[in-house]
Amino acid sequence: MSEILPSEPKGHIEVKNFSLSYDSIEGPVQAVTDTQIHVKPGEFVSIVGPSGCGKSTLLNAVAGFLKPTTGIVTVDGERVNGPSAERGMVFQQYSLFPWKTVRENVEFGLKMRGMPRSQRERAARTLLGLAGLEAFEKHYPEKLSGGMKQRVGIVRALATGPKVLLLDEPFGALDAQTRVIMQQILTNMWQRLKISVLFVTHDIDEAIFLSDRVYCMTARPGSIKAEIPIPLERPRQQSMMMSSEFLALRRGLMSLIREESLKAMGGEINDMGMQGLSIELHGHSLADVI
Amino acid sequence: MSSPALVRHTEDSMPAIADAGPVSAVTPPATPPSFGTLALRWYRLNRESLRAIAIGIISLLAFLLVWHLLTTYRVVFFVRFTNVPSPLAVHASFTKAIHDPKFLLHIVLSCRRILIGFSLAAIVGVPLGLIMGRFKLMHEIIFPVAEVLRPIPAIAWVPMAIMLWPTNEQSIVFITFLGSFFPILVNTLHGMSLVDPVLVRAAQCLGARERSIFREVYFPASLPHIFTGLTVGMGVAWVSLIAAEMISGQYGIGYFTWEAYSLVQYPDIALGMIAIGVLGLGSSVLIRGAGRLVMPWRSTR
Repeated sequence: MSEILPSEPKGHIEVKNFSLSYDSIEGPVQAVTDTQIHVKPGEFVSIVGPSGCGKSTLLNAVAGFLKPTTGIVTVDGERVNGPSAERGMVFQQYSLFPWKTVRENVEFGLKMRGMPRSQRERAARTLLGLAGLEAFEKHYPEKLSGGMKQRVGIVRALATGPKVLLLDEPFGALDAQTRVIMQQILTNMWQRLKISVLFVTHDIDEAIFLSDRVYCMTARPGSIKAEIPIPLERPRQQSMMMSSEFLALRRGLMSLIREESLKAMGGEINDMGMQGLSIELHGHSLADVI
Repeated sequence: MSSPALVRHTEDSMPAIADAGPVSAVTPPATPPSFGTLALRWYRLNRESLRAIAIGIISLLAFLLVWHLLTTYRVVFFVRFTNVPSPLAVHASFTKAIHDPKFLLHIVLSCRRILIGFSLAAIVGVPLGLIMGRFKLMHEIIFPVAEVLRPIPAIAWVPMAIMLWPTNEQSIVFITFLGSFFPILVNTLHGMSLVDPVLVRAAQCLGARERSIFREVYFPASLPHIFTGLTVGMGVAWVSLIAAEMISGQYGIGYFTWEAYSLVQYPDIALGMIAIGVLGLGSSVLIRGAGRLVMPWRSTR
């Protein structure tokens, strides 16, 4: 267990002068430009932004799946050169191995590290117990609900004792109630393990509720528009989401994102255009007018 | 989070159960259910499959009856049943044949050819498909040749096979191999092309290197398609084998069937056909069973 319960917070992520572009027939396309972010050891940081702004691109670069066109990504001073078990990742599509049982999925990282079978079985059982999934260890993922699958996904990413945990809209496919519970489970695990978390989402409430800091990205080409510290005290309760402090943060972030979302839609909807939605039809139905 | 509510709930509901008196719907009966009850429950749970089995048996019997009537009355209605053997005649020749070591030899030899040809095709086709799916250069080199050879039916290879191989036996096995090779290769390739890249990335994030990713992700992810390829390949293997045996064989169930025609042993024609059908069915059942063993995560569906 010492491997998964580090005493000192670790995992200092730094992204400096980052930009990423890819080639297309019309020439290079900028996905992300001129971006600096950092996550202090043990910190929980979220990235929010309109869809297609490059927040997942940024996360994939930290994971090591994408190489920056310019700039550098480091974790604890070491340059990121490719994916590694030091940076655990949780995907929106769960991405559990369907041919492995729940426990075998959790064991995977330990197996890759060459841990003997009996030892990794014990470690996996302990972790599954923490997530309340012990009873499902022999099930295949297909039989689990979305929330359970993602719990397995998180536990699997944590099993190898990574320095940082990267999450790419992990709760995006879950229903609202499950999502709230998953947020609490994630907070709980993060507080126990004291590792750094970089969390990508388009859900503003989720970002505020979970994070110490939130980065807000601009529309494509993405860059950091604002950095908002979240001074809400911990442990956080669901009831806090109604507090004036929370709502003020939410209002601020909403207006930032809204501006960028409208930009991302190519200016096809501006505030003038939105007014069209409330045109008075004088008692006629829409079908009559058309 | 919700534990206080849960506790309260149980406290509230406990007296309610107590009020309901000693009779409780949840408590199981003290005596185990009788055999009759169990049988009834089993029947209810399996009604659908029992129905399918019953109808299946009836339809096979109806087929036999129609066959019997058509041949006894020697019906001629566009199709001529004058020389077609009746089920009873086929049954008579069957009882004679199972005591005839020569008939059994035909069957054993056909099975051996299938076993060798099909196994070779699987041993070559599956790894080749996996490698071609993983390494682009291998795909670029091998795929064009495979695409040119693939549309040639195995039967068209018969003259070439006779030239290529010193013995008849070898050329028949070669034809069987060719028949099953391409379906196995193509389906394995297809399976490899459908492997979810997110699963590969997930494995990489958990510290998996190239070899482990191949073994732990690409191979199991392709298995369903590999087994589709094996099933199709087995079917084509029988088609090719029978054709090859009819043309160039001296033994084998295909040769037996053709020989029966030449020797005017009409009941043996039908016997050979039925034997081919039963053997083909048996081999595909074997492959399906192997698939279920190898892919336990799919059998629960």
